[in-house]
Amino acid sequence: MTLSRARNGGAVYLLAAIPAGFLLVFFVLPILMLLSASVLKSEDMVPVAQLTAENFTTLLSHKLYLDAILRTLGIGVTVGALVIILGYPLAYVLTRTRSRWQPLLVALALSPLLASVIVRTYGWWVLFNRDGAINGFLQTMGLIKAPLLLLPSTAVIIVGLAHALLPYGILTLMAALNGVNPNLERAAMSLGAGRLRTFASVTLPLTSSGVIGGFLLAFGVAIGAYATPAILGGPGTQTMATLIYSFMMTLLDWSLGSAMGVILLASSFAVLALTMLAGRRSAS
Amino acid sequence: MLKAVTLAAAGSVAAPYVISARAADTLVVSAYGGEYQDVFMKSVIEPFEKKFGVQVTYDESGGAAQTYAKIRAARGAPGFDVAAELTAPEAILGAREKMLELLSEQQVPNLRYVWAKSLAAIPPVGVVTYYQYMALLWNTKKIDKPTSWAAYWTPETLHKPEVKGHLLGHDPGTNLLEVYALIMAAKLKGGGVQDMSGAWAALQDQKPWLGAVLQMSAQAAPYFENDEVWLTPYWSGRSGYYVAKGYPLGFTIPQEGTIGLADVSAIPVGAANKKLAIEFLNFRLDPDVQRAFCLGYFASPARPDITDWPASFVETQITTQAKMDALDLPDSAVLSKQRNAWVMKWQEIMAG
Repeated sequence: MTLSRARNGGAVYLLAAIPAGFLLVFFVLPILMLLSASVLKSEDMVPVAQLTAENFTTLLSHKLYLDAILRTLGIGVTVGALVIILGYPLAYVLTRTRSRWQPLLVALALSPLLASVIVRTYGWWVLFNRDGAINGFLQTMGLIKAPLLLLPSTAVIIVGLAHALLPYGILTLMAALNGVNPNLERAAMSLGAGRLRTFASVTLPLTSSGVIGGFLLAFGVAIGAYATPAILGGPGTQTMATLIYSFMMTLLDWSLGSAMGVILLASSFAVLALTMLAGRRSAS
Repeated sequence: MLKAVTLAAAGSVAAPYVISARAADTLVVSAYGGEYQDVFMKSVIEPFEKKFGVQVTYDESGGAAQTYAKIRAARGAPGFDVAAELTAPEAILGAREKMLELLSEQQVPNLRYVWAKSLAAIPPVGVVTYYQYMALLWNTKKIDKPTSWAAYWTPETLHKPEVKGHLLGHDPGTNLLEVYALIMAAKLKGGGVQDMSGAWAALQDQKPWLGAVLQMSAQAAPYFENDEVWLTPYWSGRSGYYVAKGYPLGFTIPQEGTIGLADVSAIPVGAANKKLAIEFLNFRLDPDVQRAFCLGYFASPARPDITDWPASFVETQITTQAKMDALDLPDSAVLSKQRNAWVMKWQEIMAG
């Protein structure tokens, strides 16, 4: 009996050791390498063995880079909020409907995931570019004479990212809504609460973990996204991810690229910590 | 269970060594994709395979800097034997970081036939396999043939207002083309690589005339297709390709001259099959291979001793010593040092 338990315990540790080892090798070590590269001095694009904080001061003192950092965080928060605001009603309907078409409706809501993000982003480009469908429509209707310059813009990047990440928000919110006992909502209404009050006092607090999770998921992916800002953005709408790509892959200045990577990572952790803290406070 | 896990772990640890232990008759070449790949396969890869009885694996890559980033990240052993599409700045960096194999004329006999300029342009860690230059490309249906870089850099003085929004810009952070274009703008105002102030003033004035700014040259294709771009600096190779495809485009070298781009092939220090890689570099410089590739890709040859080119080719390509002498090849070491600062300045102006 004892021997069998010990064997089972060993197997459990072994099973846990495999993903833990994977994470150590492919996540923790690269992060450590990123951290070390971010504090190395760069001489004409070649990192040299000399510690410096210069990379961070360069990034945090130039308006251009500071703007890109703030823009990225703004995009992340806006996309996260949009995903929740747009995704919640849809997730609510999809979980509460008794229609026999429910599985089909869920599949339709999640169907954007079947197309590559590049394809979906170029779809927005087709709509918003100078000779795109939106300008064409407005000109045909006689509302504008010359095409509007809708691209590149931060607003369109937000639209593209919110569209790409909405299904993830819906999935997270549906999981939370499925965990809510409908009898609690019925009980609230039987005690006189209206639909709005029931939602605000019962449903929303009980699904706060899904709201926070969905927001964090959308925020985290949005601030690290490269393809959408690269396609729908331009020189005046740089984000941290596009700058990192530029530093690492074309300017070959890995010290500055790593420093920007560290700032991106730190921003993610900061928002994660703040949101978790806010979640705990509201729960208590 | 334990056995399976052990086997899987052993397999994953051994995998890189199994992969690197390639057959001696297999060569991995990293080069561009798209239309370039078709030309490269037919004019270089297939004849090489036939002549040496070997197999070449084509590793489709991004731009020169991306390819070099892979070499650097893998400490000189990126999994390919030949980096077929580097440029002078990467070759200089590769020599400094000792990431590229040193080459001699003894190893690559065809090096004795290349343009003298090629040997001066890069350290001996690569071979200049062909040249392109920055052309001024225009839409023949929309505007007249431009004769000066001023048509691009001071559009308000030369064009009607309807041209506004139809100039195409390029991101100097991702495309060397814009760096070269900015140097030409500085030259127009009496400056150059050492004094770029004129370029920034020109960029500020030109900015409202730009319809789009692209990260990579290849992204321009849809803009050419729908006549959205009327004027842009563009690489001569792709320019020739689009003209041959029937687009209403023309490309020219304006009266102030232009800047050339030496395309470099090199071997990473950790390449698995260096011997065959060296043969490949020498083969790329063979006259027949040069002719087939350059005609297919609208590129200028790496050696001056090939004659009897078609007249239309001679008209647009660098085939004579006089033309090569006129081609400006900026000091890549200076470019490498200055590029980050220039990119930052460009971004500040464009974001403002």
